Amino acid sequence: MAHAQQAHRRRFDTVLVANRGEIAVRVIATLRRLGIRTVAVYSDADADSAHVAAADTAVRVGPAAATESYLSVERMLEAARTSGAQAVHPGYGFLSESAAFAEACDREGLVFIGPSAEAIASMGDKIRAKRTVEAAGVPLVPGSSSPGDSDERLAATALDVGLPVLFKPAAGGGGKGMRLVHSPDELEEAIAAARRESRAAFGDDTLFVERFVTRPRHIEVQVLGDSHGNVVHLGERECSLQRRHQKIVEEAPSPLLDPPTRERIGEAAVRAARAVGYVGAGTVEFIVSADAPEEFFFMEMNTRLQVEHPVTEMVTTVGRDGAEASGGERRDPPNGLDLVEWQVRVAEGEPLPFGQHELGTSGHAVEARIYAEDPARGFLPTGGEVLRVHEPSGPGVRVDSGVRAGDRIGSDYDPMLAKIVGWGRTRSEALRRLDDALSETVLLGVETNTTFLRALLEHPSVREGELDTGLVERELEGLLTGGPSAPPDHVLVTAALLRLSEVEPSGPRADPWESLLGWRMGGRAWLDWSFDVAGERVTVEVRGDSAHAEVRVRRESTSETSPHRARLFRRESTATVELDGHTRRYHYALAGRTVRLASAEGSWALTEHTLLSDAAERSGAADGAVTSPMPGTVLIDKVAPGQRVSAGQALFVVEAMKMEHTVTAPVDGLVTEVFVTAGQAVELEQPLAVVTAQDERPSGE
Amino acid sequence: MDAPVLSTAVDPTAESYARYTAEHEALVADLDEQLARARAGGPEKTRRRHVERGKLLPRDRVNTLLDRGSPLLELSPMAAHGLYDDEAPGAGIITGIGRVAGRECVIVANDATVKGGTYYPVTVKKHLRAQEVALHNNLPCIYLVDSGGAFLPRQDEVFPDREHFGRIFYNQATMSARGIPQIAAVLGSCTAGGAYVPAMSDEAVIVREQGTIFLGGPPLVKAATGAEVTAEELGGGWLHAHTSGVADHLAADDADALRIVRSIVATTGQARSTAAPAPVEEPVVDPDQLYGVVPPDSRTPYDVREVIARTVDGSRFSEFKAEYGQTLVTGFARIHGHPVGIVANNGILFGESALKGAHFVQLCDRREIPLVFLQNISGFMVGKEYEAGGIAKHGAKMVTAVACARVPKLTVVIGGSFGAGNYSMCGRAYSPRFLWMWPNARISVMGGEQAASVLATVRRDQIEQGGGQWSAEQEEEFKQPVREQYERQGHPYYSTARLWDDGVIDPKQTRNVLGLALSVAANAPLEPVNNGVFRM
Repeated sequence: MAHAQQAHRRRFDTVLVANRGEIAVRVIATLRRLGIRTVAVYSDADADSAHVAAADTAVRVGPAAATESYLSVERMLEAARTSGAQAVHPGYGFLSESAAFAEACDREGLVFIGPSAEAIASMGDKIRAKRTVEAAGVPLVPGSSSPGDSDERLAATALDVGLPVLFKPAAGGGGKGMRLVHSPDELEEAIAAARRESRAAFGDDTLFVERFVTRPRHIEVQVLGDSHGNVVHLGERECSLQRRHQKIVEEAPSPLLDPPTRERIGEAAVRAARAVGYVGAGTVEFIVSADAPEEFFFMEMNTRLQVEHPVTEMVTTVGRDGAEASGGERRDPPNGLDLVEWQVRVAEGEPLPFGQHELGTSGHAVEARIYAEDPARGFLPTGGEVLRVHEPSGPGVRVDSGVRAGDRIGSDYDPMLAKIVGWGRTRSEALRRLDDALSETVLLGVETNTTFLRALLEHPSVREGELDTGLVERELEGLLTGGPSAPPDHVLVTAALLRLSEVEPSGPRADPWESLLGWRMGGRAWLDWSFDVAGERVTVEVRGDSAHAEVRVRRESTSETSPHRARLFRRESTATVELDGHTRRYHYALAGRTVRLASAEGSWALTEHTLLSDAAERSGAADGAVTSPMPGTVLIDKVAPGQRVSAGQALFVVEAMKMEHTVTAPVDGLVTEVFVTAGQAVELEQPLAVVTAQDERPSGE
Repeated sequence: MDAPVLSTAVDPTAESYARYTAEHEALVADLDEQLARARAGGPEKTRRRHVERGKLLPRDRVNTLLDRGSPLLELSPMAAHGLYDDEAPGAGIITGIGRVAGRECVIVANDATVKGGTYYPVTVKKHLRAQEVALHNNLPCIYLVDSGGAFLPRQDEVFPDREHFGRIFYNQATMSARGIPQIAAVLGSCTAGGAYVPAMSDEAVIVREQGTIFLGGPPLVKAATGAEVTAEELGGGWLHAHTSGVADHLAADDADALRIVRSIVATTGQARSTAAPAPVEEPVVDPDQLYGVVPPDSRTPYDVREVIARTVDGSRFSEFKAEYGQTLVTGFARIHGHPVGIVANNGILFGESALKGAHFVQLCDRREIPLVFLQNISGFMVGKEYEAGGIAKHGAKMVTAVACARVPKLTVVIGGSFGAGNYSMCGRAYSPRFLWMWPNARISVMGGEQAASVLATVRRDQIEQGGGQWSAEQEEEFKQPVREQYERQGHPYYSTARLWDDGVIDPKQTRNVLGLALSVAANAPLEPVNNGVFRM
C-alpha cells in the first residue's frame, strides 16, 4: 500500500480536480483556502462553466462525451502532467472509484487523493467486499448461500435467519421465483412454489434464503483514515429518501438510531474501513429495518467523497467542540471539519490529530439535491439554458452549486445542479431552514425538482423522521399534487404584465404607435395573454399599461369576472406585482414567449399562446411535429422521409441518463422531414421529424 | 422646446363648466354607443355561422394581424351610419392603420357578416379612401378579402364611375408601381371583380377549403356552359396555389394566413425609425378638463388656447403674430414629440387673420413642419367695408397657401365648419392627410339659422313683390324645416356616414389621434415647395 508508506509529510502546491459541476467548485474552494493552486478540467460542453471560473487554471480534456473527457484516464493524466499538478482530487462519480485510475496515478508519481487502488478494488467487488467485512465482524443481511439445500434445511435456515425472509432462485433475476414469507406455516408451500417457478423459468430450482428487511432505511457512516493506521468515523447519515434508487434528501444524524446503536454502527464502519487499510474519506453503507432499528447490515463501501458529505461537515465537532453535547446553545453550525481539507492533509501524509473521543456532533443538518428533472414525468431529466440563478443564504444555510446563469444543462452529465443544506439545533429547525432556503432558491430556465423537494419535506412521515427507501415512490402522487401545475391568478397576472411590459416602449422618446398600447377609437382595447395551464387555456385580459392596468382572468371553466386593478414594478431580476392591493414579489426571466417566475410558492414556466403562434407551430410542423421528450441522444432512427407511418408507430429511440424513450408518430401520414440521425444529441422538445397527415387535395382531382 | 407654457383661465367650479362637461359626456357616450354598434358587424346569427365555419370575425382578423399592443387608427368606423336602412354597419368593411411586423400598414378587411361583404356605394368610397391614405402616407396595403363583390341592386352607384369599383385595382397597380406593397389574403369569397384584389396584389395568400377566387362562380359557370363544379374545384386554395398561380401561399386557416401576411410584411423592407423626434411630455394643463372648457354650441365664443393647452406637449405653445389678426391663433408646438404648426380659429376670419394664416402656413411649409388645423369657423367677415378691403383676395391667399402646402395637414373640426372658412381651414377638399370631427361639431355651407334667414328673405321678397303678405308665423313655419335640414345634414354622424371625414372622435382623444397620425404621416417623403399665384 503506497499510501501507508508515505511517512514524510509533503505539501502539494498544485492539485488537479478531475471533476466538474458543484463538487469541482466545492473541492476547489477548499484547495484555494489551503493555499493550493487549483487546476480544473473541462470538456467542450463545460468550457465556460462555474468550476472552470473557480479554478486558477483549467485544461481541456476532450469533447462533451464523458467517456472521452472526464472518464478518460489518459486525458486526466496528461492534464495533470501539463499543469504541473502533484495530486489529483477525483471528486465523486467519474474516475473517483476507478482502481485503474488510482493505479495509473501512482505510476505517474501523482498522488491520488483517496484510498489505495487495492482498497478501491476490494470494495468495488461487492462479493469480495462482503466477505472481507464479514471477516472483520461487520454484520451482513442474514441468510444462507449453500446450494443444494433440501426444503427442510431451507426452512430451518429461514427460521434461523429470522422472519420475514425472501427465497430467491440462484439462477434468477427479475423477481421470478421469489417468495416472501412472513410466518412459519407458509414456509413449506412457499419453498415448493418458488422451486416450481424457478424450474419453469430458469431450468434450475436452487434457492437461497435471506432475511427480508422490511421498511428498509439507508444509513451510512462517514469514515476517515490516515496513512498511519488511524481510522475514525464521523457519525452517520440517513439517506432513505430516494427516487429511482437515487438519494434526494439526506440528513445527519439519522433520526432512527439510539446512542448505543449509533456507537455500534460507527465501530462497525471503522472495522470495515480498517479491513481494507482505508486511507482518506469513505462511506460505509448499511441497511436498517425501520421495524428493528437496533440491527444494521453492511451493504457496501463507497471509497470516495459522497455527494451528501456536507451534512456531516455541518454537524461534526472536533476537540472541545466534541465534548459539547448536541443541541447545545450553539446557533450556527459548527463547521468544525472540512472533509476535503482532511482528504488533502491525509494524502499529504499528515496523521489525524484527533481521536474518536474528540469527535462529536452538534445539531442536525438536512440536504436536498436540486436536479434538472421533472418529477411529474417520472423524474425525466429536463434541461435548457439557465436564465437566472438566485441562491439562498442565511444562518445555517449552505449551498454547494455548480450552475450559473447562461449555463446550458444538457444530457451529457448527471442532472444534479446544486445541493442546499439547512442546519439547525434540532431536526425540525434544520428542516424549517432548509424549506426556507428552498423557497428562496431560484433557478429559472430549467425545470427542477425544487417544488417536489419542498412537498417531500412537508410530508408528515418526513417531519416525524419515519423514513424508508420506498417512501417517495409510495407517496409520489400526493407529493406531485400542489406542485406547479396550477399557477394562481397572481402568477398569471404577473406573467401577463411582464409580457405586456416587454412591448411597452422605454425612454421618453416614445412613438405613440408603441406607447398607446391597444388604443382604439372609443377606448383602449383589452389585450389577451393566453397560457396553457394544466390542460386548460387561461387568458389574462389586460387594459392599460403594466404600471397601471385593469386585469381579468378568464378560464374556460369560469365565466367572465369583473376587472381588478394591477400594477407591475419591474426591476432587473424581480417583478413586484400588486393585485387588488396585495403585493407579491417574483424572480423572473423572459425568453421568447415564455415567462418564468419563481417565488416562495413555487416556480412556473408560462408559455404564451396566440392564434399566430399556434398557427406557426402547426405550420412549422404541419400536422405532426415529432419532438424529443427529453434532452439526450438519438439512439435509433427508424424513419426516412417519404415513409408512410401510422399513429403510434415507433420512429426514434432517444436515450439520456440511461433511460430510453421511444418516440412515436402522432398521426397517420407521411414522414415529410427528418431532422436527426442516430448518434445526434438533441434538446428537450427539439423537432426530430415531421409527420404530415394525408394530403388534402380536393376530391374532384 | 423652451416655448412658453400656456395656462388656463377656466374656472372648474363655474356653472357653465359643469353644464359643458355634462353635454360633452352625453355626446361621447352616444358616440361610444354608435361605435360599439358599428363594431359588432352583421346580425348575431350571421356572425355565429361565420365563426362556426372556423373563420375569425373580421375584427378578430385585424386584431390578430396587428403587432401585440398595436393601436388601430380606424378610418370612418361609422361609415354608412343611417344609410341603407342601417343594414351595413361600418359599410361592411373595416379599414384603418395598424402596426404589422413593426411597420404601419393600411388594413382593409371585408366583413362577410354584413350582406356577404358586398360593396355598397359607401363601401367602395371607404375602400378607396383607405387606399388614398396608404398612398399619401406611403403605407403598405393589406387586404383581408371575404366579399361577394359589388352589391348588385346598386350596381349603378358602385360600378361605372371614376371613383367606383374599378378604381380599387387602378390604385393597386399604381401604388405597386410606387413601391407601396400590396398584399392580399383570401379568407373567403373573392368573386368576379373582387378576384382582381388578390390577382393585382404583389403577394397573395389563400386559405385552403375556405378562400375562393373566380371570375364567375359555380352558378354562372352552369348557366354559361352547363358544367357543374364545386366552388373549391373552381377556385379553391389548392387550385390557385398549385395550378393557377393566382395565389402565392396556401394557408391552413385564418390564423395561418395572417401569420403568412405578417411574414410577407416583414420582407417589405426597413421600417422607419420609430423614436419620436423629441421627448414626449403630457400637457401640464389638465386634459381631463377639456369637456368643461369647450362650449358644445359653436356659437358660444371661448379662447381656443384652452384646447391647445390641453392637446400639446407640456402645454407649450410658441405663438406667432399673437397681437395681429387675433381671430386666428397660430403657433408652434409639439404633439407626442412631433413638431407641429397649429392654426386655430378664435372667432370669425378677417382680412388680417387670413393674411396671418397664409403667412404662417407658408412658414411651416418652408420649415417642413406638419400643420394642425383646429377648425371652428362660421366664415369670413361680410359687409361693405370688408369687401372693399379685399377680404376675398385675402381669403384666397390663405386658401392658396393651405391648398399648396405639401407638409402633412391634419384637420380637426372642433366646432363649426361653415362656408369659405372650411376652405381656408383645410376642409376635406384641401386633401388634409386626415380629417376628424368632434361630436359637437357641425358642417354645412352655412349655419342652419343663417340659411333659414337667407332663404326666408328671398322668399319674403318674392311674396312681397307679388303683393302678398307673409306673417311672422308663416315665416317661422317656412324656416323650421330649413333649420332641421341643416341640423340633420350638418351633424357629424351625417358627415362621417358619407366619408366627409375620417371619423368622429372623443375630444379627449384628439392628442392621441394627432400623435398617431403625425407619426404615420412621417412615412412619406415631402414634395418640393411650390405655391400658386397669391393675389396681392
